[in-house]
Amino acid sequence: MTAQSSLPQRGVLRSFLPGRGVLRSEWIKLRSVRSTYLSVLFATLVAVVLGVLATSSDASNWATMTAQDKAQFDPLGDSFIGLIFGELAFGVLGVLAISTEYRTGMIRATFSAVPQRGRVYAAKALVVGVVSLVLGMLLVFGSFFLGQAMLSSKHLEVHLGDPGVLRVVLSAGLYLFVVTMIGFGLGAILRHSAGAIAALVAMLWLAYPIGRVLDHLSYLPSRILLFNIADAITRTHAATGKPALRIPSLELAYSSLALYLVVFLALGAWRISRDA
Amino acid sequence: MIEVHELTKRYGPVKAVDRLSFAIRPGQVTGFLGPNGAGKSTTMRTILGLDTPTSGRTLVNGVAYRTIDKPLRVVGSLLDAGAVHGGRSARSHLECLAVTNDLPRSRVGKVLEQTGLSGVARKRVRGFSLGMRQRLGIAVALLGDPPILMFDEPVNGLDPEGIVWIRNLMKSLAAEGRTVFVSSHLMSEMALTADHLIVIGRGALIADTGMADFIQSSSLNDVLVRTPQSRYLADLLTAKGAQVIAAPDGGLAVTGLTTEAISQVAAANGVEVYELARRQASLEEAYMKLTDTSVQYRATDPGKRGRR
Repeated sequence: MTAQSSLPQRGVLRSFLPGRGVLRSEWIKLRSVRSTYLSVLFATLVAVVLGVLATSSDASNWATMTAQDKAQFDPLGDSFIGLIFGELAFGVLGVLAISTEYRTGMIRATFSAVPQRGRVYAAKALVVGVVSLVLGMLLVFGSFFLGQAMLSSKHLEVHLGDPGVLRVVLSAGLYLFVVTMIGFGLGAILRHSAGAIAALVAMLWLAYPIGRVLDHLSYLPSRILLFNIADAITRTHAATGKPALRIPSLELAYSSLALYLVVFLALGAWRISRDA
Repeated sequence: MIEVHELTKRYGPVKAVDRLSFAIRPGQVTGFLGPNGAGKSTTMRTILGLDTPTSGRTLVNGVAYRTIDKPLRVVGSLLDAGAVHGGRSARSHLECLAVTNDLPRSRVGKVLEQTGLSGVARKRVRGFSLGMRQRLGIAVALLGDPPILMFDEPVNGLDPEGIVWIRNLMKSLAAEGRTVFVSSHLMSEMALTADHLIVIGRGALIADTGMADFIQSSSLNDVLVRTPQSRYLADLLTAKGAQVIAAPDGGLAVTGLTTEAISQVAAANGVEVYELARRQASLEEAYMKLTDTSVQYRATDPGKRGRR
């Protein structure tokens, strides 16, 4: 915070405004380590390969499927079946973008060069955010088109123009971005790669039973879990039966996602201002 | 110029730095001495704005570090040579720091050359030896061609060649008129490098003095006399106003008289002398004596800390 500024809000804003140099620095950092490429490559390979396998088996088994299976067939869900690994890889990318600086001690050199920590944090978040958004969108659109190409042999495919399809594909990409930024926030809060990755895995998947045991009181805890939010925003048709109760409405899902993003980025920003 | 005013840094109940004040002048190498855990690194981190002081303040060239716009151009620092992402190349490491302060790319090549790392610039740091990492850390410090340089334990783990290289580098940087502030717990190393000394113990200032004065003022400066008639000579010397302590090996440790005066007393009284030697405390001994007293002092009276 710049002390000389009379307006506190302007001071806070300015202390988080990264210059071109700081942004370039974070871009160099991200692309000069192998773990970035490895996690993105892993995410892409697994997501695409699983999506292609799932959709091609759908296409080849279609003739022998029961009527019930056919009714539950979800052409989008099957092409995104590998995205669960994508989530993990993108989340890890977010964690490592900041936790490795603390683990190696590099953060002290960074803060010596740029003592305005808010600017370092904002530049990092911006670079990681843009990279994960662009790569995430490439990944989901790639998975979508490849998967639908597999299904097209049996004319089972859906198109971006079909109701809800474009929204779901965009939401899947957006979800990868939010998971990356939650990982980034956790990395800043915990400053420890393994701890932050464990916390991320717990939040993404292991929290599911916590929601279930609370279901007899309220379905709200289940509905604001990332797992169920992801389910809600990547569906083209409504769920049925008991699981449907755990799935939030689209409004709740998108606003919870925004809340996750803001809370974790804010906690990380608060933590980074503490002694390094 | 680095100024530290009444600096106190508390970690919970522990005072790492306790009302520390000193100033580091340009044009000389100032050594920062103290045992492990004395608060050297904490003080240096505070000067760099990495730690927030509990009270007091630190200034570089008259301003707080955190308010400097492009600090690498003002202060270059090496805190921990290991503090590098092992997966990054030396060049990338330097580049990502250089761009933050709008330093031209040419500076990266220049400091790589200056530190002898040009040949391994594109190699990942993971494979670097400790000596190469120290050189890389120094390259970072030199990146902005700053008038002030700070090195925390720069010779730790270096081979003799590397130690000589760093020693000469620090001396040449000081000779160019820069402020050079270097911490160490190795007294012998400081004796060869530093012109001025700041000594701290348990976070408090023990001495702020020139190197020569520091050794001179130590009470360990005495004369060793070895003679078969030690009791007789001891009485004669005491009568001349000297303080004489019998060493365990039968020699006499004499203070208050010069070697010439002792020799005259012995000759005039027909005392046979086997050995007569002036002993000057090494910096190491002087330092041990200083920090030792400060520790004992604290042990008996924890309320009052440090000798001023």
